[in-house]
Amino acid sequence: MSGRRSRSRQSSGTSRISEEQINDLIIKLQQLLPELRDSRRSDKVSAARVLQETCNYIRNLHREVDDLSERLSELLANTDTAQAALIRSLLTQ
Amino acid sequence: MASADKPINTDVPEKDVFALHFLQSLSNLRRQNTFNSPEKTNDRVKKIKKAAYVSMARAAGGTSRLWSRALLRRAAKETNKVVRFSRRKKRVTWLRRRSNRRDPVEEEEKEAERLRNLVPGGGAMETSKLIEETAYYIKCLSMQVKVMQCLVDGLSPK
Repeated sequence: MSGRRSRSRQSSGTSRISEEQINDLIIKLQQLLPELRDSRRSDKVSAARVLQETCNYIRNLHREVDDLSERLSELLANTDTAQAALIRSLLTQ
Repeated sequence: MASADKPINTDVPEKDVFALHFLQSLSNLRRQNTFNSPEKTNDRVKKIKKAAYVSMARAAGGTSRLWSRALLRRAAKETNKVVRFSRRKKRVTWLRRRSNRRDPVEEEEKEAERLRNLVPGGGAMETSKLIEETAYYIKCLSMQVKVMQCLVDGLSPK
C-alpha cells in the first residue's frame, strides 16, 4: 500500500503532496470534462467541483456502456446478419 | 519546488486498438455460443458488458495502468459471477453536511473518496495518482463508448 504510506508521511491534516502537482492534474482533468471544458478561463473552478464533475461524468459513461451493451446484445442475437455487419461497420470508419 | 517528475502522459491508443480488442472479445463470446443459445438476455448483456470493460483494459495497455490492472484482476476473479463495479454502498449522507467549516481541502478529499469508488483500483491510490489514473480512465472509457456506439450504429437496421 505505497499509497497509504506516502499519504500518512505527509499528514498534517491535509494531503500536501505537492499542491502544485495536484492542481496541475486537476486542470488537466478539467479539460477532459465536457461540462467544464468551456468554462470561462477567469473563473477558476474549484478542485472539489472538478472531482465532482468527474464522478458524474464517469457514472454517465458507465451508464452508456450499460446501455450500449444492452443494445448490442439485442442486435447480436441474430448472428448471421450480425457477423457480416459487424465487420462491415468497423471497416467503414 | 514541484519536483518535475515525468510529464503526465494521458495519451490513449487509437480507436482502432479499442475496436480490435472489443471485436476479439465479441468473437470469443460468439465462439462460446453466447449469441445463439436462448439464454436469458440478462446474462448475455452482462457478458457483453464484461467483455467491453476487459477489452478496454487490454487496449489501454493491460497491466501498465493501475486501473486496468485492477479491472483485469477483478474480471479474472469472477469468471462466472458477473458483478457491476461494486460501489461501496456508502450512503451519501456525509456529503453536503451544511457545516460552516467549508474547508476546501476537506471537500476535495470527500470528492476524491467518491472518485475512488468509481475508478477501479482507486482505493489503493493516493490522491495525485488517483487523479492521473482518472484522466486516463476517462479517456479510455469514452473511447470504448465510441467504439460500441459505432458497432450499434453499424448493426442497427438502416
